[in-house]
Amino acid sequence: MLLAALLLSPTLSEWFKSAPQLRTGVTVFVAICVQALPFLVVGVLLSGAIAAFVPARVLERLMPRNRAASVGVAGVAGVALPTCECAAVPVARQLMSRGVAPAAALTFLLAAPAVNPVVLAATAVAFPGEPLMVLARFVASLGTAVVTGLLWVRFGKVEWIVERARRRASDVASGERWRVFTETARADLIEAGGFLVLGAAVAATMNVLIPPQWFSSLGDELVVGVVVMAVLAVVLALCSEADAFVVASLPGLPLLPKLVFLVVGPAVDVKLLSLQAGTFGRPFALRFAPLTFVVAIACAVAAWAVFLGGGR
Amino acid sequence: MRRETANVLLLLLGGCLLKLVWTGDYLRYVKPQHRWWLIGAGLIVVMLAGVAIWRDMRGASVGTDGGHSHGTGRSAWLLLVPALAGLIVAPPALGADSVARSLDAGTRQVDPAEIEAYPPLPAGEVTPMPISQFHARATWDKGRTLVGRQVRLTGFVVRQGERTYVARVVIGCCAADGYPVPVRLVGDAPMLRTLRDDEWIQVVGRYRPPRDATRARAPEIAVDLLRRVPEPEDPYEY
Repeated sequence: MLLAALLLSPTLSEWFKSAPQLRTGVTVFVAICVQALPFLVVGVLLSGAIAAFVPARVLERLMPRNRAASVGVAGVAGVALPTCECAAVPVARQLMSRGVAPAAALTFLLAAPAVNPVVLAATAVAFPGEPLMVLARFVASLGTAVVTGLLWVRFGKVEWIVERARRRASDVASGERWRVFTETARADLIEAGGFLVLGAAVAATMNVLIPPQWFSSLGDELVVGVVVMAVLAVVLALCSEADAFVVASLPGLPLLPKLVFLVVGPAVDVKLLSLQAGTFGRPFALRFAPLTFVVAIACAVAAWAVFLGGGR
Repeated sequence: MRRETANVLLLLLGGCLLKLVWTGDYLRYVKPQHRWWLIGAGLIVVMLAGVAIWRDMRGASVGTDGGHSHGTGRSAWLLLVPALAGLIVAPPALGADSVARSLDAGTRQVDPAEIEAYPPLPAGEVTPMPISQFHARATWDKGRTLVGRQVRLTGFVVRQGERTYVARVVIGCCAADGYPVPVRLVGDAPMLRTLRDDEWIQVVGRYRPPRDATRARAPEIAVDLLRRVPEPEDPYEY
């Protein structure tokens, strides 16, 4: 297969020249993979470390018994851990299999990529004239994570999550720790990696197919702007450290659609959807993604009304 | 997927990341700051596969405890796509195609707070300048700091009908979030007509204020000097 690929490579280069759009798409695809893989590696290492070195009773002691309270703790834990959304998925799954309530693990999943200091600093740099944008993003994203977690406590069913993701893992004997660490990280990487690639391919296709005019013709209709920016946040799957720079400079777009884009993006996008479907199963992803999407838009609108004056 | 196959896949994937850093091609996809992340991730991926292979060779059986011994699905094969794309093809940086598609969509706004920090340009000499800065000074300030000054811009060529632009792509994190900053070339230098898409050029010229300021368009530069240059190691601006 390697040999075949090597033989094909001059042909491929020719293709690229004759189809510039394909070339752009492939570049974007490789870029998303190259950008996201290190973060996924961090995530699987964390997941492996939790599996091997953190006994279940330590987590039990850290998390409040009350499930609603544990959702709050998980949200705050997300603030402290600057992980990218790809890293959060294997970690959340590992937390579940170590006995943390699914609602709390899911809150962590949503909070970690969206409200950490790195992302907030990037937002502040991207919006130098609007310091309240940072606060609005923080509150709306944390709100999305906590509200979704609480809704899960109330309505969520454990059966939606695929059985292997919630199987309780027993504590590891001390001699076995390094083996479990590397094996868990390796298995998580192989499993999640394929889905990351799938998500990257979808996002790259959308990146090429969506005409840039979409962005520039949104100035007048606020509601249309909100809906389109929310959808764009899902299909473009931008990294949460970069999305603020992208929307900040869009011409003629009011603040509300921009905020919606920043809140929806880290919570639900095609790359994440693919990762979640692979990790927690399709029935879960098909319920969780729409729920998060709606909650994120609602939280963004609420934060906008409170912090950005609503009327501007 | 079999365990051995998965290990080979991981070796290819980690090798791909390391190769992209080694050759410098990673700059076509991400910011230079990602360099150490990529090296670290590449080494770890290779090590995870290496340790698994080493253990298997020693014949240590892989236990079924820990809940992670289930077989991996077919999705893992997808890892082969970016690994091979990076190892063999290494697709080029974003170029004329990505700029051409956005030329009609209007130019980007720049926040005035960013520009106030720009000092006046020194008089009487050619000032080299990132195209994004030229854009910023031209679009927001009505070009006041640019009038009468000679600047030098480096970028690639974008042709659209009769118009020729020199452009760069600005990225925040990776190429997926890149947006183009085009500057239209005007003047009667004969070389202007021979330029082709994606050629890298260096332009010395003067800012030309728009005749119709109401329409958001790419800023224009009147060309004094024009020469072809090799593609820079780092094709993006930040």
